[in-house]
Amino acid sequence: MVEFTFWDIAYQLLLALRWTVVLSLIAFVCGGLLGLGLLVLRLSKLPGAVKAVAVYVQVFQGTPLLMQIFLTYFGLALMGFDTSPMVAACVCLTLYSAAYLCDIWRGCVDSVAKGQWEASASLAMSFAEQLRHVILPQALRLGIAPTAGFMVQIIKGTALTSVIGFIEITKAGQLIANATFEPFLVYGCVAALYFVLCFPLSLWSQRLERRMRPQR
Amino acid sequence: MTSTSTVSSPSSLPLVDIAGLRKRYGSNEVLKGVDLQVNRGEVVSIIGKSGSGKSTLLRCINGLENFQEGQLTVHGQALQAHNPQAMRELRKNVGMIFQNFNLFPHLSVGRNVMLAPSLVMSQPKNVARANAERLLDRVGLAEKFDAMPDQLSGGQQQRVAIARALAMDPEILLCDEVTSALDPELVGEVLSVVESLAEQGMTLILVTHEMNFARKVSDKVVFMHQGKVHEVGAPEQLFSQPQTPELRQFLGLSAH
Repeated sequence: MVEFTFWDIAYQLLLALRWTVVLSLIAFVCGGLLGLGLLVLRLSKLPGAVKAVAVYVQVFQGTPLLMQIFLTYFGLALMGFDTSPMVAACVCLTLYSAAYLCDIWRGCVDSVAKGQWEASASLAMSFAEQLRHVILPQALRLGIAPTAGFMVQIIKGTALTSVIGFIEITKAGQLIANATFEPFLVYGCVAALYFVLCFPLSLWSQRLERRMRPQR
Repeated sequence: MTSTSTVSSPSSLPLVDIAGLRKRYGSNEVLKGVDLQVNRGEVVSIIGKSGSGKSTLLRCINGLENFQEGQLTVHGQALQAHNPQAMRELRKNVGMIFQNFNLFPHLSVGRNVMLAPSLVMSQPKNVARANAERLLDRVGLAEKFDAMPDQLSGGQQQRVAIARALAMDPEILLCDEVTSALDPELVGEVLSVVESLAEQGMTLILVTHEMNFARKVSDKVVFMHQGKVHEVGAPEQLFSQPQTPELRQFLGLSAH
């Protein structure tokens, strides 16, 4: 029987951790950009835009992420794209993040008082100028906490991509646990690594929120 | 009804001409055919009970509310609600001050005043800044340029709002119950700024509950009742000799 040291386990997990981080970042950045685009589309009140964005958001909020990952992976293959698990995972998580972030940010924009829209309109500002200089800066302040909270969800959501064979820390943990017959130790380390990723993010968002609030 | 001038030359055309304006919220008709003319340099006060449509009428003038029927012309141009470019031009000429100030809380006082001119009129930063300083001085708040809005009292915030509206150099200023949210001791400072604007020949349309102020500063007072202009006249005449029972009741002069 082969003996595995703790360092063997930890080293393999740390290598896989890179992929968790990369996938989370891609999902957040690309999803954030797409979500912002959807938000502006929704706010522009173009005919059909509000309905279309609402349907998109409802689809992704109303189905489990696991199902979305399966459908993306097999769906892309059916459409003829030769997808690796990495690509499928990135596409799925991007679409998923965009839906949630769009909705979170829409809530933040709605929280900005209507008087701000009226005052900036009365000053002859265009829609784009209103958004950029008056509404979004105020919505941003309100949006930090829920956005950071969702970022933590993304990081934990990457765990589900293990089902399509993407080797991030959950999948790596499975493989190592099967090889070493030490599931509790291995999965304990995996959980600890997730915590190490998520907890500083929560702390940082709290600090950012505090800094943006005016001192009294 | 007001009498229009007999000779219609361009300079005597009303600056704001409202004819037969009707507005509905769903099935509730709020404005039931309003006719009003405001000439250049005139100060018009609109008074009436809550729900009589005064604020709604004011908000129609700069396009914050849409109307279903009627004509609204500002400076000879009919209001085109669906044309963003036309609305932008209109709002450069028609400024508005709100009951709740609506200052931008994330910007300093000076930047509040500078924002719109630098964006909409493409004023260079130094020109916008100089104008902002001049206007804040005019409303008596020169030293507050770098303060944040939440550090100011209500009266100071409203004066900043006035400076911000003036920064666009409008021809007409709409004032929607600008002192209604202020403590009584702060009302005076705002009213004196508005009065100085009136003295300098600005065209003002005020919705107000301050009867004494309306009497003092207006050229014409309009009493609105249930969505229509009920009585119009010079302040001394309207306040001392109200013609209709509704106005008498509104002013608290009805006999018991």
